[in-house]
Amino acid sequence: MKRVIYISLILLVFLLFLKACIRKDVPEQETANNQNLNQKTEFEFPQKAKTVTINGTDYLQSQAPTGKFGGEVILSIFGEGPKTFNPFTSKDATSSQMAGMMFDGLFTTDAKTGEVIPKLAKKYELKGNDYYIYLRKGIQWSDGNPITADDVIFTWKNIIFAGLGNTSLRDSCIIDGKLPLITKIDDYTVKFSLPRPFAPFLRQLSAEVAPKHIFEPAVKQGAKYFDGFYSTTTPPEKFVTSGAFKLKEYKPAQRVVFVRNPNYYEINTKNEKLPYLNKVVYLIVGDANNEILKFEAKEIDVISLKGSNVARYKQKEPNADYKIYNIGPDTGTMFIVLNLNNRKNSEGKYYVQPEKQFWFKDKNFRYAIDYAIDRDNMVQNIANGLAEPLFTAESLNSIFLNKNIKGHKRDIDISREYLKQSGFSTNKNGKLIDKYGNNVEFDLYTNAGNIERESLGVMIKQDLEDLGMKINFKPIEFNTLVNKMVNTLDWDMILMGLTGSPLEPHNGKNVWNSYGSLHLFNQRLEKLSYDDRLDFEKQLDEIYDKASLETDFKARKALYDKYQQIIYDEKPIIYLYSPTRIIAVRKKLKNIYPSTLNGIMYNIEEIYLDK
Amino acid sequence: MNLLKQLIKDKFSLIALIILVLIYTALLFADFIAPYTKDFSDRELSYVPPSPIFTITSDGKLSRPYTYNYKREFDPNLMETTYKLDRSHKYYIKFLSKGMPYKAFGIIPMKRHLITVENEGRLYLLGGDINGRDVFSRLLFGGRISMTIGFLALFVLFPIGLLYGGISGYFGGKVDILMMRFAEAVMSIPSFYLLIILAAILPPNMTSIQRFILIVIILALIGWAGFARVVRGMVLSIKTQEFVESAKAIGLSDIKIILKHILPQTTSYVIVAMTLSVPGYILSESGLSFLGLGIQQPDASWGNMLKEAQEYTNILYRPWLLTPGFLIFVAVLSFNLIGDTIRDILDPKSKVR
Repeated sequence: MKRVIYISLILLVFLLFLKACIRKDVPEQETANNQNLNQKTEFEFPQKAKTVTINGTDYLQSQAPTGKFGGEVILSIFGEGPKTFNPFTSKDATSSQMAGMMFDGLFTTDAKTGEVIPKLAKKYELKGNDYYIYLRKGIQWSDGNPITADDVIFTWKNIIFAGLGNTSLRDSCIIDGKLPLITKIDDYTVKFSLPRPFAPFLRQLSAEVAPKHIFEPAVKQGAKYFDGFYSTTTPPEKFVTSGAFKLKEYKPAQRVVFVRNPNYYEINTKNEKLPYLNKVVYLIVGDANNEILKFEAKEIDVISLKGSNVARYKQKEPNADYKIYNIGPDTGTMFIVLNLNNRKNSEGKYYVQPEKQFWFKDKNFRYAIDYAIDRDNMVQNIANGLAEPLFTAESLNSIFLNKNIKGHKRDIDISREYLKQSGFSTNKNGKLIDKYGNNVEFDLYTNAGNIERESLGVMIKQDLEDLGMKINFKPIEFNTLVNKMVNTLDWDMILMGLTGSPLEPHNGKNVWNSYGSLHLFNQRLEKLSYDDRLDFEKQLDEIYDKASLETDFKARKALYDKYQQIIYDEKPIIYLYSPTRIIAVRKKLKNIYPSTLNGIMYNIEEIYLDK
Repeated sequence: MNLLKQLIKDKFSLIALIILVLIYTALLFADFIAPYTKDFSDRELSYVPPSPIFTITSDGKLSRPYTYNYKREFDPNLMETTYKLDRSHKYYIKFLSKGMPYKAFGIIPMKRHLITVENEGRLYLLGGDINGRDVFSRLLFGGRISMTIGFLALFVLFPIGLLYGGISGYFGGKVDILMMRFAEAVMSIPSFYLLIILAAILPPNMTSIQRFILIVIILALIGWAGFARVVRGMVLSIKTQEFVESAKAIGLSDIKIILKHILPQTTSYVIVAMTLSVPGYILSESGLSFLGLGIQQPDASWGNMLKEAQEYTNILYRPWLLTPGFLIFVAVLSFNLIGDTIRDILDPKSKVR
């Protein structure tokens, strides 16, 4: 009996196997694709907010359509949550975002044009090298105290310029070694005197303003005390804010809850006080998978979509309760960089082996690499088609983007031609050798654990090995990579990404200045006693200095166009692609005006819920 | 030999044994079985579904097995990449014919593959990964690392553990106390944090395989302590038996008594512990690759292949990326089944089944 069962079982398995082998070739029906969804989400921005004076108070009047009051919006943040709520001590993006909810700056950025527009300030005037800032009369902090010139002066003099907390803002305001002078004209007028014209300065005034009556005692206690001031352990009722919202509750690793500030100075066209929302909740989510699941469970209202999720959501969109916005290229850039360093370290050894130096400093070699890179397939495979090839140092949404740089397709023959011009040849094993007979072999590093970069590295390795080079691709731990890049400098090629500012190329000075702290391709650890800058490095330094002096947009644009052209021509850094941002927002949220420059929730005070 | 016979008698361990033998032979002949090399990629076939194999043509006739190539299409409106079969050209599947060149066992240059497809055709039996590489071929090459790394650790771990436990148990007294406290100190080293530190300080110019072997050896170097404690406990009871007394009476040296008379008595436990700890290392390899500490791209291992399936849309739409996970599951289960059976055979008193 048992034997019969065994035999029939074996027969069954065999038959199943046979069945798997026999498969009929039936052409599938062509399904017509009738869905017609626009790729670019088109919409009209409302007019710019105006200043309206009612009973002696200078309100900011939003011109967006009026909506209903009440309700809450739930958003998400990645990682561990904020480390502080103090805008002046925050060093990470999440903390700054949380502080930004509660504190407004004097100015902000127009979502459509990227211009500097008034926020806490009413307007400004530029007389010579002096900026006159006029404040709104009659507006208040959330505890009812007036916001005056004293607050502004205190913030800039005693906190920012005094070097408390995070000093990066102070550092970017230093002009020829001097800080701007601040003078009080009257209770609602402040003068910032600059030593010379300095175009990026106005944008720095978007920094948050602190309430003097709350922050002054803390500042007096010294820098150490200030670092712990307005931290995550401060009771929420102690927060005095100028922004549309104030903290209600913070539960570590769970959520941050904000409630509306009843004293906010922005009104709608019916002269009702904004914001519309009663509450804004940020859920702290661990990773992207977790975030997606939360969005599907309708626990969060806005999500940034990546990879194959986009297609999935797009398919479901017609019947779903969300709308998908394509807000164009991201500020992030992905690139490979070659080490052009030809100096020796303190032990007298070259950072880069001499024969490699000879290849890397050769412009033809860099051109050959650039033409061998298959950007189209990178976009298609790694970014799921949701990116654009990138050739410029400025990100594709930058208002200073040089549109004349068109780029090129992969062309291995052009690459070979460039290599030939510099005396490289291939031996009979198909390996590339330089004119001194050395095999072309070098290392490509990136940070491990990032699937996108690891897959990119595999592609770059293949692309360059098509030319006969030998690439040792080495994903390493992130901190080790950073240490290599800025301290030990013993690397050949690195695959990396950086986030730039679409509004202010001057923020990229630490990369492009020859002595910058992140001058990746030719990092100088300290100021050298001699000048060994390459010709194009000198040009870049000059352009950066000139452009910061220039206050006229067109003249600045011309200079920054030139800098992008130089980098494209010299190719110390070879750019790969820039991802596209796709965001899904619940349809119940109204007054959504997605912007390539500002993202999607920048106008949180105007957003309302439509039931 | 007797052990093997009894193993075969047990149905579960027989099946497990067959599966393991199959896996290991497949890995040994990976170059021959795999249609492609581990690094071969076709850019146009990123995340391509498995190639369908047809034996009956569309007009109903029986035919030699053939396949079609996939064509990639990107729909900018739906922002979706889809693959459609390109039915304009049939590619016949060939057995034992010439394909991509390789070196069998690292020396003999060969071109024959068990299964290939006509030129220009692509036979991705288990679909493609993000870089358009054949998952089936990479499974075979990746398995070589994943399935051998456990044994490597055993060769470091067991000799140390046996000797240490044996000496400590045999001499007893102060030696025992000292040695066991040291073992406890080793046990208390937190291995996870040690790994993270190691990942940061190991010289980056090692290849990922070298580095991984080093990590496994270091793991084994802190992993022997638990094993040594058990051995010591067994030795404590064995050393009071008469044959040890008689060996002492003859005047045999201590080390000889430990090696020749006491440690062989622990064999049954050692064999069981060995078979049961191999799957642990297979799993830890996949875990380490997940953390970015294990085998790195472009090298393949089951762990780092599984990492690609992490994103949950991949699980929904590209289930073939989960095959390394399935193989890890099968291999670990088989090792455990065999380990259990060996224990039952060697120690009938503790039979649980």
